[in-house]
Amino acid sequence: MPPPDEINDADERPLELILARNLVSIISLAAFLVDVDGDIVFFNEAAAQVIGARFEETGSLTREQWNPEFGPFDEHGRPVPYDELPLTIAVREGRPAYGRFHIRTDSGSLIEIEAGAFPLTGPDGYHGAMVMFWPLSTDGEG
Amino acid sequence: MRVTLWGVRGSIPVPGPAAAGFGGNTSCVQVTVGDGSELILDAGTGIRALGEAIVARSRRLHILLTHLHLDHIQGLMFFAPLFDRDAEVTVWGPPAAGRALRDRLARYISNPLSPIEIRDLAARVSFEDTPSTPWRIGDVELRASLVAHRGPTLGYRLTEDGSSVAYLPDHEPGLGEDLGTADPRWISGHRLARDASLLIHDCQYDDAEYGGHRGWGHSSLADALAFARRSEARRVALFHHDPGHDDARLDALGEQAAERWAAGGRDAPLELAREGQSFEL
Repeated sequence: MPPPDEINDADERPLELILARNLVSIISLAAFLVDVDGDIVFFNEAAAQVIGARFEETGSLTREQWNPEFGPFDEHGRPVPYDELPLTIAVREGRPAYGRFHIRTDSGSLIEIEAGAFPLTGPDGYHGAMVMFWPLSTDGEG
Repeated sequence: MRVTLWGVRGSIPVPGPAAAGFGGNTSCVQVTVGDGSELILDAGTGIRALGEAIVARSRRLHILLTHLHLDHIQGLMFFAPLFDRDAEVTVWGPPAAGRALRDRLARYISNPLSPIEIRDLAARVSFEDTPSTPWRIGDVELRASLVAHRGPTLGYRLTEDGSSVAYLPDHEPGLGEDLGTADPRWISGHRLARDASLLIHDCQYDDAEYGGHRGWGHSSLADALAFARRSEARRVALFHHDPGHDDARLDALGEQAAERWAAGGRDAPLELAREGQSFEL
């Protein structure tokens, strides 16, 4: 972790994300947090079991890192750009949203998931989203 | 920059001799800066005596509210400059969805809780949402951020000529987080407190008490020390004393705090805040 004097304002997480992480880190439902840029800034242990990688290993993932690697993909396995995902659009407009799509696990398999996303909007605007998801198929059945 | 503590107590005022040493008034801190500006952090009952002290000489005042819990606004109605026709007072506070700051404060300064209405204040009073980006009042740069407490609650950092005071009187950064090892980017309030000349921070509970109050928005001694350690503040005043802690208990807590602070390898001065205490930064 960087020492205090190496942290700049852009690194500092807004309280909405900090409190969301406190919740996400202790629940047993798979969940992750994205920041205002769409970067994954945290995912919990339950999510790690679905995708096959732990947050302590991956750290934060930029959209460019996770989008082609983990998904989302459509039912034919074609990548769906994060910005075009209906769920992304809804959340950025400040609405909770629900969606189904496929993700690729660490083993290379595609699995279908359901996801519910909640915008983390504070007095000064949108800070990101909390996404909870659950697999509809198991690894290898997607 | 001179920082004077007019109220260091949390939750409810504590009158009587048993608390006279540390003081019984609720949160209020005066910050006097080089250009003569008076900035006041919170309006607990400590602000009454402050108002009496400055009413005749300070006509341009800023009150910076961290949040609107009663122990942080109770003194507003008894703040003499608000009844001075020549005074100009700006009250800053956390934005909240749906209701303006003035309207939220008017729930307290109105019938049946008050004999006067907020519109009856004689001074020229304005109410402003605290900006989420840094701003200036005279020579002072101010920064405010939401911090972990119940309801919209701000911490403040005031900086002048390289000296800074960070004020986080109601804060529970350790909720769901190990402050000793957490990435500082994920510690509530860390940016405000980082390397401050003086950190004024919540320490309402001893460690045993905290177990029964987890999630109430306040810090244990252990978390207050861990937060101060991670922030690398150059001086620390532990604040917002529990109303159930009399002077004897606070003396004991202060000794314990000093021992644990020293054992942690920190040599920055650390103490329990006392009403009437001043710091020259």
